[in-house]
Amino acid sequence: MPGLSDATGDSLSASLIRAAFLTRTRYKALQERTARRYMYLHALSASLDLFKPGAIVPWVSYLFPTELLASYGITAMIPEIGAATLTGTESREPLEAAAARMPLARDVCSYHRIALAAVENGMLPAPSMCLGTTPLCLGKECLLETLAVRYHVPFREIRVPLPPDEGEAAPEVVADVAEQMRVLHDDIGRWTGRSPQLRKVIELSNRASKAWGHLMAERLAGRLEMDGRETFATVFLGQLLWGTREGAKDFERLLTEHGRSDLMAPRAADGRPLKKLLWLHTVPHHDSGIIDLMRERGAMVLFEEMGQMHLETVDPDDPFPGLAKRLTDNVMWGTSARRARLNLALAKHLKVDGVVHFNHWGCRHGLGSVPVLRAAFAKAGIPFIAVDGDALGRGGPQQEKSRQAMESFLELL
Amino acid sequence: MPYCYYTCNLLPLHLVASTGHSPRWLGNHLRDPNAPARRDALSVHPMTCPFVTKLVAAAEEVLGERTGAPGSGEASATAGTRGDDCLVVPGGCDAMRRLGDLLAATYPDRVFVLQMPRSSGPEVAATLASDLARLQEWLRARMPGDLQAGSAAAVSAEPPTLDYPRPPRPGGVFLVSGPLSDDSLLGLIDKLGAHVSGLESCTSPDRWKPLAPGSRDGGSGHEALAADVLAAGMCPRRSTAERREHLVRRLDEANASSIIYARQSFCDPGAYDALLVAQLAQERALPYLEIEVDFPFDANGPLRTRVEAFLEAQLLDDDLLEV
Repeated sequence: MPGLSDATGDSLSASLIRAAFLTRTRYKALQERTARRYMYLHALSASLDLFKPGAIVPWVSYLFPTELLASYGITAMIPEIGAATLTGTESREPLEAAAARMPLARDVCSYHRIALAAVENGMLPAPSMCLGTTPLCLGKECLLETLAVRYHVPFREIRVPLPPDEGEAAPEVVADVAEQMRVLHDDIGRWTGRSPQLRKVIELSNRASKAWGHLMAERLAGRLEMDGRETFATVFLGQLLWGTREGAKDFERLLTEHGRSDLMAPRAADGRPLKKLLWLHTVPHHDSGIIDLMRERGAMVLFEEMGQMHLETVDPDDPFPGLAKRLTDNVMWGTSARRARLNLALAKHLKVDGVVHFNHWGCRHGLGSVPVLRAAFAKAGIPFIAVDGDALGRGGPQQEKSRQAMESFLELL
Repeated sequence: MPYCYYTCNLLPLHLVASTGHSPRWLGNHLRDPNAPARRDALSVHPMTCPFVTKLVAAAEEVLGERTGAPGSGEASATAGTRGDDCLVVPGGCDAMRRLGDLLAATYPDRVFVLQMPRSSGPEVAATLASDLARLQEWLRARMPGDLQAGSAAAVSAEPPTLDYPRPPRPGGVFLVSGPLSDDSLLGLIDKLGAHVSGLESCTSPDRWKPLAPGSRDGGSGHEALAADVLAAGMCPRRSTAERREHLVRRLDEANASSIIYARQSFCDPGAYDALLVAQLAQERALPYLEIEVDFPFDANGPLRTRVEAFLEAQLLDDDLLEV
């Protein structure tokens, strides 16, 4: 069975494999016609174009404002998404073997380690440019610049100061970040020789943001209960589609009952209400052990911390300040105290029964804030558990240990 | 005089001294490993580098007894002047920044987290200068009134103690590492019959001496201080391209015959830096050894064997070449 690694190049076989992947995904989308399936299709379709010879491949950080690329008709290559996608395909085994051979310490974030192994072994396309943002972590900036140096391509970083613990980032900070984005947007045009379509792209991005913002508001108000784990996985891929026509349509599909039907909160077979949990940080993409256990024990993820992005539209006439604010005031950015304050308020607002923090392998940014989060939730009397795991992992002793810890937590609830 | 503990050597010590605080590197005040474990000790995730882990415990020792949970604001100092002591955390990496967050939540108003940039350039230097000014202001405001006037002369600095046991000579082993607690790794290389041609470490004298008291006139502006910090701090967390340029220059100057990278486990900047250094070694056809080290450094056991085997292999090569 061919893997994504065979989809590179301009040979007939590579084209056929790309077409086969797309056909399979398109068939599922046509069968189910849900926003999630369409998003998978469109994200895959855009990403496969990055494998074509001569494609412009910008490797960017997860929070990079992809509208700056969409403005030039370019799709982003986000290492976290690339790594999560590849480890869910037939390429997983050879990729893990390649990562094990690589002389990079095994204790770094597995998203980044796998992404590096993938590009070094032709399973992901090599970068044409690397564009970072200081949020969220230092590791991905190290990865992006390492790649830039290795492939002799430009590296740029949008520097974003930490927001204050209380309130919003100062206007001059937002203005500075906006200016950096403006300069970078111009530079991308110069590097690629393409003409910008930023206004059009922002209008499309705004359509998606409006839909997503509405959906999130409904969830926060308690009028809509969605499965936080599945919803995060969908938005994770949707990150590739902001500012595209497909992205606008896909996010708008979430507004219909049928469009979001496969993302709705599960119901207990006996009709009893499920325990509601708030999920912090990323999710295990390929190991459903913890989530299955939750369902077995009558619990569900009601809301996910990382879904809180792109909730507001930005001004199409002057988009940079709005795009900058998404970075400066991102809920995951800032001190541990800020993160604790925001999540505590969220947990209280949603009246959840407990909070789960997923300690992703090697994420110093995420797991470093756990002691402060734990103390804040303990003080508020809200049950909290931090489970260790690897977002890309599948089984293994660590996952089993986490499953046991979660089992005890659910019993406690 | 109150102490201002600090975690990273990219702190201009004369700026601290100018406020009447005696700067002390926290790495010199680690908790006694044989002391009984405290039940209420702050916990950090085991997937955190040993340097940060040990500094959290050290900070608890020097800042006083804790009576509340992190973030509760209920921490208090023990008797004496400990309540006046403070901690500055230059947050260059995620783990160190989170250490600062944890301690700031545990010891309110006694911890200052200084943002350390990756890149350089005028805008970056200006931001750092403004942060340094803010730090100075914060330190001044902490100083008890009766100690404020003319107190700078009474302070004493306590930087890391790491120095070359013997002056580095070109043509030897080039050592790259994270923070080293002492010179035992350098001593080990000497003891094994090789010599050191250069050291790149968070605690190397090239890093802390330019920012030590007396290295610059205390009246210099914050912009100049920021420029000094950026110039001295070409460490693994900095821009890969700038770091590469810096390492190329250092390796060329040292005319290194081999490279040893002593990397702390769970250190992101160190992991990517080791990748870079391995590539530089390969480009120069230099023997390269990467070892994973703890903090404080222990030059015995398996590490000694690995370094010994690596250096012996090189001597063997030299012997064969001579034949």
